[in-house]
Amino acid sequence: MKKKILILGGFIALSPVLFSFCGFYVSKADGTLKNKTSQVILVRDGNKNVITMYNDFKGETKDFAMVVPVPVVLKKDNIKVVDQSIFQKLNDYSAPRLVEYWDQNPCYDYERKKQAEAADKSLNEVVVTSAYGIKRSARSVTVEAKYLVGEYDILILSAKESSGLKDWLNENGYKIPANAEEVLDPYIKSNLKFFVVKVNEKEKQKLNNNFLRPIQISFTSPKFMLPIRLGMANADGDQDLIVYAFTRKGRIECTNYRNANITTGKNIPLFVQKNFGAFYGNLFTQQWKNEDKSVAMLEYAWNVTPINQMKCDPCVGNPPTEQDLVQSGVWWLNGKDWSDYSDIDNDEPDDGNRNVHFTRLHFRYNRKSFAQDLMFQVTPNKENFQARYIITHPASGNFDCDAGRKYLQDLKQRRKKELQELTRLTGTDINNWQEDAMAKNDETENTGVQYATLIPEYKQDMENKSSAPAGIILLSITVLGAAGVMRWKGLV
Amino acid sequence: MQLPALFKDARYFQIIFQSVFLCYGLFFLHWDNEAWLYVAYFITSLITQFICELVFGKKEAGVWQRYKKGIPSVLISSFGLSLLLKTNFLWVAVLAAVISILSKYIIRIKGKHIFNPSALGITVVVLVTGSAWISPGQWGSGVVILFGVLSLGFIVTTRVQKLDVSLAFLGTFAALLFARQIIYLGWPMDHFIQSVSTGSLLLFSFFMITDPRTTPNHSMARIVWSAAIAAVAFYLSAFKFMNGAPIFILVLAQPLVPVLDWLFKARKFEWSSSKKYTPQEERFLRTVYSRFVM
Repeated sequence: MKKKILILGGFIALSPVLFSFCGFYVSKADGTLKNKTSQVILVRDGNKNVITMYNDFKGETKDFAMVVPVPVVLKKDNIKVVDQSIFQKLNDYSAPRLVEYWDQNPCYDYERKKQAEAADKSLNEVVVTSAYGIKRSARSVTVEAKYLVGEYDILILSAKESSGLKDWLNENGYKIPANAEEVLDPYIKSNLKFFVVKVNEKEKQKLNNNFLRPIQISFTSPKFMLPIRLGMANADGDQDLIVYAFTRKGRIECTNYRNANITTGKNIPLFVQKNFGAFYGNLFTQQWKNEDKSVAMLEYAWNVTPINQMKCDPCVGNPPTEQDLVQSGVWWLNGKDWSDYSDIDNDEPDDGNRNVHFTRLHFRYNRKSFAQDLMFQVTPNKENFQARYIITHPASGNFDCDAGRKYLQDLKQRRKKELQELTRLTGTDINNWQEDAMAKNDETENTGVQYATLIPEYKQDMENKSSAPAGIILLSITVLGAAGVMRWKGLV
Repeated sequence: MQLPALFKDARYFQIIFQSVFLCYGLFFLHWDNEAWLYVAYFITSLITQFICELVFGKKEAGVWQRYKKGIPSVLISSFGLSLLLKTNFLWVAVLAAVISILSKYIIRIKGKHIFNPSALGITVVVLVTGSAWISPGQWGSGVVILFGVLSLGFIVTTRVQKLDVSLAFLGTFAALLFARQIIYLGWPMDHFIQSVSTGSLLLFSFFMITDPRTTPNHSMARIVWSAAIAAVAFYLSAFKFMNGAPIFILVLAQPLVPVLDWLFKARKFEWSSSKKYTPQEERFLRTVYSRFVM
């Protein structure tokens, strides 16, 4: 059988590490598998790093292989497998959310209140790769260490030149995509090691489950980065990456790409709840394009310190418990667990502070927009942030009073604004939403204010309106104003 | 026809360019949720300057007179803070602005202040309070064309005496990066281009390290001094992964300036008054002025 490989990127870099994961995968002949979204948990404090890579490989486990660049030769104690469910929990907790509010009928005085409800965008990822098998015939490639951890056989390789490494991988059954080579050399010269993983069938059978658990590695390195370049080998198309980060001080941010907050807090039409996943997907794509693609998109940031009472507002999924955090690698919550990484130099004073700040960043990368690996820094920014969209249910009943008639007027205006917001945010044509907006889906019986009625009116309004970008106008006014003031002051 | 003050004092150009950058950030990069921060920097700086003039100012002219004269410098410092320093706390913003302005009045040798005001304010609050930070990636790299054009415009129109500082710094930094990333490590070219086209680096090179009051007077000393800053900053960012290294190193290197001035004698820089155009330049500027401004 033809063997192929998945290389997860690696961490690394000029010296330290991370893995690049979500790497390039090579699909099987039928080519139906897509490598769409990778997920990784980064834990960082001082120079200590813990990185957990999600493994959503589906297929014959004997076909699985992964290569991750790492900055140091990891010891066996620095590698472990963790429970897969942690990724689902973190995703559920931090995913963009839809919240709902109810209007009150101004003609009666009844209260109907409900708290937010979440809709979640599911992440589907498929990573495909293939076989692993090692022939012992290395040139300039050294096997630094060999471990069995959980269901994985792990090798740590170091290489002197990229051609030797490439040959070694090829001879041992890994097919390296041609354009992966351009990054092997810089990685080798940066003194990175290569963390090569395959599944040990015997151990796998003992586990009696049909998935592969995430691998967690820990190491000390001043560099806080995630090597994604190796993962771009199959450069056609965009890959999504979700980074969940935990620090003691505050948010993380990307230092070599621009950071942007995803648009949040917008009122959108009621019918979006039927298709929130599509809405958010379009919104992300639209904003990603507007921001020039080379961007780190913030989707969530919150203080998740175990004693902090309010871990979300509203909560979409259960906030991570102390146990979940420890499982994710937040070592400072658990002295006992820290001993697992006992060989990490304890060079940073540990002040016993148990704060945990969570950041979720969403990248969509391709070779053209992302020439460099991702570099991060921990900032003292403790502000909470969430991607939150609001739908409002109309009041029901009889509106036969002055206030009621005014309410219907306002509702109509509001809904037109919501439609405008919808097209603006998602960059989609309003016609695409027509099906969702059908009258039978509407919660109001008053046809004058139903979305189905408003959409044609909205289209009409849009045709009559031409808009100029507000930014340009403001900029011109500022410059002209400054010039005017200077002239008036006699400076010019 | 008298040439307007604008052409004689490079600070006005600097203010115009910096305000364009800030507007770009506010309106195109959506920094509007930070607007309060900019307001805090400007108001605090202006108030601090006034108090400092009252307390420390030379009494030869009225307070208002002296205050008005210093306003362009205060605005430049405030823009410097706004374009580089981030914080969630009002007190940190106020502290940074106070340190910036106050340092001009109390840390002086031979009538020249030692530290670049905004660089010092940024360094102190980032390193001491731990509640502020610099976002090297805030401009992205797509903005490089804007920066290139505007910076070039800045250089060409003002012919600041100390352009050599920018070029020595940027040239050294870029050469070292090139040697490491392209020649040694073998990254593709776009990897290197992304590193040198960072907005923060260009802003630093053209608007911060250039402050003529806080660079050596002697031109050779100046070039060596800024190349050395670039070399150290390169080392710290490439091998020690420090963010914002150029700013911190600049602050560390500034106490060397009086020493260099003592070793290499040269005329001290004065804003506007010392600026002399050659007859050709003056003719050119007049033409530009009468065609496009009047």
